[in-house]
Amino acid sequence: MRTGPPETGHRPRTRLRPRGLRARLLVAFVLVTVLGAAAAAWSSAGSASTALVTSTQQRIAEGLAGRLGAITPQLTYPPDQDALDRLRTAAGGNTVVTYRNLRSAAGTGTDLVPGTLRAAVRSRNRLVTQRITAGSRPWLVVGTPITITAPDGARTPSGIEVYSVHDLTGVEQQIGGLTRSATTTAALALPLAVLLALLAAGSVLRPVRELRDTARRLAGGDLGARSPPQGADELAELTVTVNEMAESVQTSMLAMARMQRDARRFAADVSHELRTPLSTLTAVVEVLATSADGMEADARESAQLAIVETHRLVRLVEDLMEVARLDAGTAQLRVEEVDVAGAVRDCLRARGRLDRVEVVAPEGISLRLDRRRLDVIVANLVGNALRHGEPPVRVIVSEAGEDVRIEVTDRGPGLPAHVVPHVFDRFYKADAARTRTPGSGLGLAIALENARLHGGDLTAGNADGGGARFVLSLPRHREDS
Amino acid sequence: MKRIWPAVVVVFLLAGCGVQASDVTDGGDAPTGVAPGMTLYLVDAHEQLRPELRRTGHLGSIPEALALLLSVPSGSDLHTEIAPTPVTRVSVTPTTGVLQLSVPLTIHDVTPLGIDQIVCTALGAHVQAGGDRHTKVQVRFVQPTPESDQARACPLITAR
Repeated sequence: MRTGPPETGHRPRTRLRPRGLRARLLVAFVLVTVLGAAAAAWSSAGSASTALVTSTQQRIAEGLAGRLGAITPQLTYPPDQDALDRLRTAAGGNTVVTYRNLRSAAGTGTDLVPGTLRAAVRSRNRLVTQRITAGSRPWLVVGTPITITAPDGARTPSGIEVYSVHDLTGVEQQIGGLTRSATTTAALALPLAVLLALLAAGSVLRPVRELRDTARRLAGGDLGARSPPQGADELAELTVTVNEMAESVQTSMLAMARMQRDARRFAADVSHELRTPLSTLTAVVEVLATSADGMEADARESAQLAIVETHRLVRLVEDLMEVARLDAGTAQLRVEEVDVAGAVRDCLRARGRLDRVEVVAPEGISLRLDRRRLDVIVANLVGNALRHGEPPVRVIVSEAGEDVRIEVTDRGPGLPAHVVPHVFDRFYKADAARTRTPGSGLGLAIALENARLHGGDLTAGNADGGGARFVLSLPRHREDS
Repeated sequence: MKRIWPAVVVVFLLAGCGVQASDVTDGGDAPTGVAPGMTLYLVDAHEQLRPELRRTGHLGSIPEALALLLSVPSGSDLHTEIAPTPVTRVSVTPTTGVLQLSVPLTIHDVTPLGIDQIVCTALGAHVQAGGDRHTKVQVRFVQPTPESDQARACPLITAR
């Protein structure tokens, strides 16, 4: 719903226009049916009413001519008033008979005779008719001269004119009945059209709906979803195309997953294989360390370098194995009731960083979690802040609704925008030039995986006052899955 | 486009119902039959048929005209070639295309011109009352004769 100022004009039309395929098919069917039925009804009612009017008109005209013709041979000519009265009586109804200045009229409506009709009677010397509407009623006016026929057949006007007015209301009522029955027939066709439209819409919409369900399942991750094509129409073609698309997506997804799995197993295998020679190497280096003091200066330097790098290598392999465990889903959570503030202080104290880090942690926030993994996360975040940021580094523990949040901030330059999406990537180096750092390059990735293992999340960003800001949020009530 | 559809339908429906006013239309021949008198056919001095109007005030029927013809005396310039008869009643039977006249005469009471007089007078009255000019006339005499079966036409009326 829009809440802006009421904007008229286009909106009602948009709302009226039917949206669904079913509604559109229905409307189209009904429109076609109504138009067709209306056209048929109009045409049949029109021709029937024309025929009715014409035949009525003809019957009236012929009747009048016949009645007049039957009496004329007995009529005095030139006519007197009595002769005109006899003619008028013979014509019957609403009639006026004139001869020069003589006139005989009876009935109502004789003043309706239009001038055009009088003119036509005089000029054509034939019987003429005209339909008029007066007082919202239809009338038929028949006008005719009485002609004199010579024995040889030549006709001349006698000067006698007869005008007769007939009410056509009865005919109009009959036509109204015709129109009503036509309209009723058209209306009866409507439910049938709706039924047909629904059937047609159903046959079109069923495959569409199946296709939609399939697409939804595909989008939901079920790559094996297919819909069987039915028939040989365009919808069947579409279904086949969608199936092909799903097939190729599934194939490439499977290949990608296999490659990923292979790569992880390779990393796991490599780190595992490295462990045994590394432990030997470590033992050798320990021996080397104890005897380093008796060496010459440059030899001692080399030995110390070897010791440092070996320790680095050991940590890297440990981290790699941890990542491999997390990837394989074999990492175990040892959940216990932990006092968060205490755990954070213990972590910093164990690494001798309590004096360089400011901890803001209210007492009494306890959470069920794996103490070792929380330790790993906090150590990684704080180590990262000390290494890349500027002091003061601050750890803030707080409660936010259903979550417990542990925030680690520093006052350094913060994370550049292009770095933020990749902070948790494995072996990602923010500064390509600074390739050698004491970390393994897996710390933040492991921290994120550990947070997720708890059902929580770890996000990176920048604090309002500048400096990087990592937020670990852990749910207070974790649903055990 | 959709907005004008209902209007079109309504116009169609309205045009279909009711009696519409019209222009002046032709309704056929006007009734006829008034005349100042009867036209009788007589014979002039040159043995030619001649129409003569008798001012009776109205056209009358065929039997009336024939009765007048049978009772007309011969005048100075026009005469009749039908023998005088006390009975002037003629019965007329109209059939399709033929007027059958039953005259109270024998074939010996009339000359051929006299038969033409009867035929023309009857046909003239028929035409003046609105009848067809090409109608045949059959004159039936009281005694059997082949002349009674002939369908005749009036040379003055039909020939034109």
